[in-house]
Amino acid sequence: MTLRKAPAASSAGSAVQSEIWRRRVDFWGPFVTIAILLAIWEAASQMRLVTPFLLPAVSTVLARIATDFASGKLLIDVGMTLYRTLAGFGIAAICGVILGLLIARVAGLRWFFDPVVSAGLPIPKIALMPVFMLWFGLFDASKIAMVVFSAIFQIIIATWWAAHSVEKELVWSARSLGASERQILFEVTLPAAAPQIFTGLQVAFPLCLIVTLVTEMLMGGEGIGDTMLQNARYVDSPGLFAGIFIIGAVGYICIALLEWLRRRLLGWQAAGGASE
Amino acid sequence: MSAAASLFSRAAPLLILAALWEFVARAGIVSPGALPALSSVLAVFAGEFSRELFYHTWLSLVRGAIAMAFAIPFGIAAGILIAWYLPVRVVLNPLLQCLYPMPKVALIPLTIIWLGIGNLSKISLIFVGALVPIVMSAYQGARSIEQTLLWTARSLGARESEVLREVLLPAALPEILNGVRTALALAFILIVAGEFVIANNGVGNLINLWGQAGQYPAMFAGVLLISAAGFAVDRAFVALSSRMLAGRQS
Amino acid sequence: MTQADVSPSSGGGSDAAAPVIGVRDLDHEYRPQRGKPVLALSNISLDVKRREFLALLGPSGCGKSTLLYLIGGFLPVQKGSISVNGAPVVVPGPDRGVVFQNFALFPWKTVRQNVLYGLEKQGIARKEREERASHYIDMVHLSGFEDNYPSQLSGGMKQRVAIARTLATEPGILLMDEPFGALDSQTRTILQGELLSIWARSPMTVVFVTHDVREAVLLADRVAVMTARPGTVKAIVDTRFPEGMGAEEIMRTREFTERVDALWGMVRSEAVAAGAGGRA
Repeated sequence: MTLRKAPAASSAGSAVQSEIWRRRVDFWGPFVTIAILLAIWEAASQMRLVTPFLLPAVSTVLARIATDFASGKLLIDVGMTLYRTLAGFGIAAICGVILGLLIARVAGLRWFFDPVVSAGLPIPKIALMPVFMLWFGLFDASKIAMVVFSAIFQIIIATWWAAHSVEKELVWSARSLGASERQILFEVTLPAAAPQIFTGLQVAFPLCLIVTLVTEMLMGGEGIGDTMLQNARYVDSPGLFAGIFIIGAVGYICIALLEWLRRRLLGWQAAGGASE
Repeated sequence: MSAAASLFSRAAPLLILAALWEFVARAGIVSPGALPALSSVLAVFAGEFSRELFYHTWLSLVRGAIAMAFAIPFGIAAGILIAWYLPVRVVLNPLLQCLYPMPKVALIPLTIIWLGIGNLSKISLIFVGALVPIVMSAYQGARSIEQTLLWTARSLGARESEVLREVLLPAALPEILNGVRTALALAFILIVAGEFVIANNGVGNLINLWGQAGQYPAMFAGVLLISAAGFAVDRAFVALSSRMLAGRQS
Repeated sequence: MTQADVSPSSGGGSDAAAPVIGVRDLDHEYRPQRGKPVLALSNISLDVKRREFLALLGPSGCGKSTLLYLIGGFLPVQKGSISVNGAPVVVPGPDRGVVFQNFALFPWKTVRQNVLYGLEKQGIARKEREERASHYIDMVHLSGFEDNYPSQLSGGMKQRVAIARTLATEPGILLMDEPFGALDSQTRTILQGELLSIWARSPMTVVFVTHDVREAVLLADRVAVMTARPGTVKAIVDTRFPEGMGAEEIMRTREFTERVDALWGMVRSEAVAAGAGGRA
């Protein structure tokens, strides 16, 4: 009693196009389009179609990135931002996963945390930034604390859900094979829930980056966000766009790294999407 | 368990936390500078700052609503068209891939330069931020439709535009609603973050100002109000989604 | 009762009228995301006569569904030709109704709304639409369930809705892709009987894909046996039973068992080959 999925159509009408083209476009598209966009941008700047104040030439922005790099400022900024993001992400990940697993297993914890986490998830936690500044000071501690606070709800829920949806049969088999509860938690539930947990982490990471940037804009203290806001204040367009390029690149690289890490760690999971 | 009893059971942990808050503050375990008592925070809603608080929160919410009013239809249409027509996909998809990893808050300084510090820049920020999850979810929803549904519709005589409107859109609706929910949460973040940075009005600005001025109960009241708003909007949306998806399998 | 008649390729031209569906020298390649293209169908030539019930029988992966989709206009013809009522097939249309294995009901519409859909597309007046919908819902024994959603129905009921929806538009041709494959055997048997009686009452041309030999012999006038991939038509066998015989009656005859045996003999070697990955 199997249900087959019908193969992809490529009929004469404007139907959903064939998968081959989709994959090609998916892979090369970004690079090609970015290249084209940059080319148009540069041409427009050279031809003075836009004021350099609003939209500095690509060449100017790239030159600025080079100078910042040479002067070491770029590395400091990127380093600070990454430090805060990764620290916050790391703490949130470890605490969140552990808490999520415990909530899934201990009914009492579940009773307490379910409403708390559900209520906490949709609220704009960044609104508590001034409170955190009050409590943790004006330096890295409050920034990292905010990152942790913002991301941990999502990680807890993802972990809890993942652990919750591990097939009972897996746990029962392990139990009948003699595993202790603790062993079951770490050797069965955790690996089985790992794909979903990792997805939760992949969703939480960009959030950490966003929160770090906002805290930097709000509080200063070096970092890409701080620099970008300063550039806006002094109407330093090349600097601002340099920041945008950098943060876009950093974001893209981090997401790609996480995806790579996923394939390394969770390679045993069949690739998503039918390849039929 | 009766409905009332189960509601109480769900609310109990929050009530416990609230009681804890009040106790810790009153007992002087922490200074009122760090954590004013819950009661004094709630008193703000009836006090001298309440008008200002409600007005600015209203302002923030209206901005968000305007941005979402544009982001939702535009995002859904874009997502579906990208999934449907290859030329659209070729042009728009890479743009999306660029926007997606870019933290939209990084665009705050950009909107300042381009659009100034008025409502337009804040609304644009929220619009762009909300757009991405909506487009992506509409795209995914459209892509994952069962091929046989589309074929059935065509074989029953539906034209292309009818297939898009009457089959693809309803089929993608669950995913789309998920995307809108994410976008709503993101919108709130951008509302507050935008007002922290472009500090001229709105509840975010108030929270900041009051914090700096040492008006801690008022500051906490602002945080409480916008948090409650975020929570309420989310709950309302979940209820709306259930109604829109009535009859289908969850 | 006619003897089981084995003849290769297109069946005898006993029907004076031109065939309703004509397939000539059809090849079809399946192009996956990764890897090389695979030849799914090879050199298929087939005629389907007006009002006949033709079964496409073969092992998994032999391309029988692909052939059905090509006739339906859901896949583009790569090589060869397919014509329906004299015109080449290009796009799907209401002249070829389709019933899929996974029911393909619109989950956001009720039973009645599902059945009404095709009628709305054809621009039929409201009163007549409602009447026709009720008529066909009744024909599949689902009166009383008009306002239910598909999620509230069992598999067998969902398939009845799908059949009612397709029949409501009164297509001349009915294409069915293993429609009872997802149902349990009891429901399957019941629906087979119902399909037979529906077809007896309002005969239309039916092309029915299945891998179940008994189902093919029971339902069809002729069975086209297909080889393992790449699919070709190995043989076409006449399996008509006299008019008026019900499903249970047919299955009790000796004729039925003999035909099933004969066909299974033909199919078995193909099934084994398919299990080994096809002949190609």
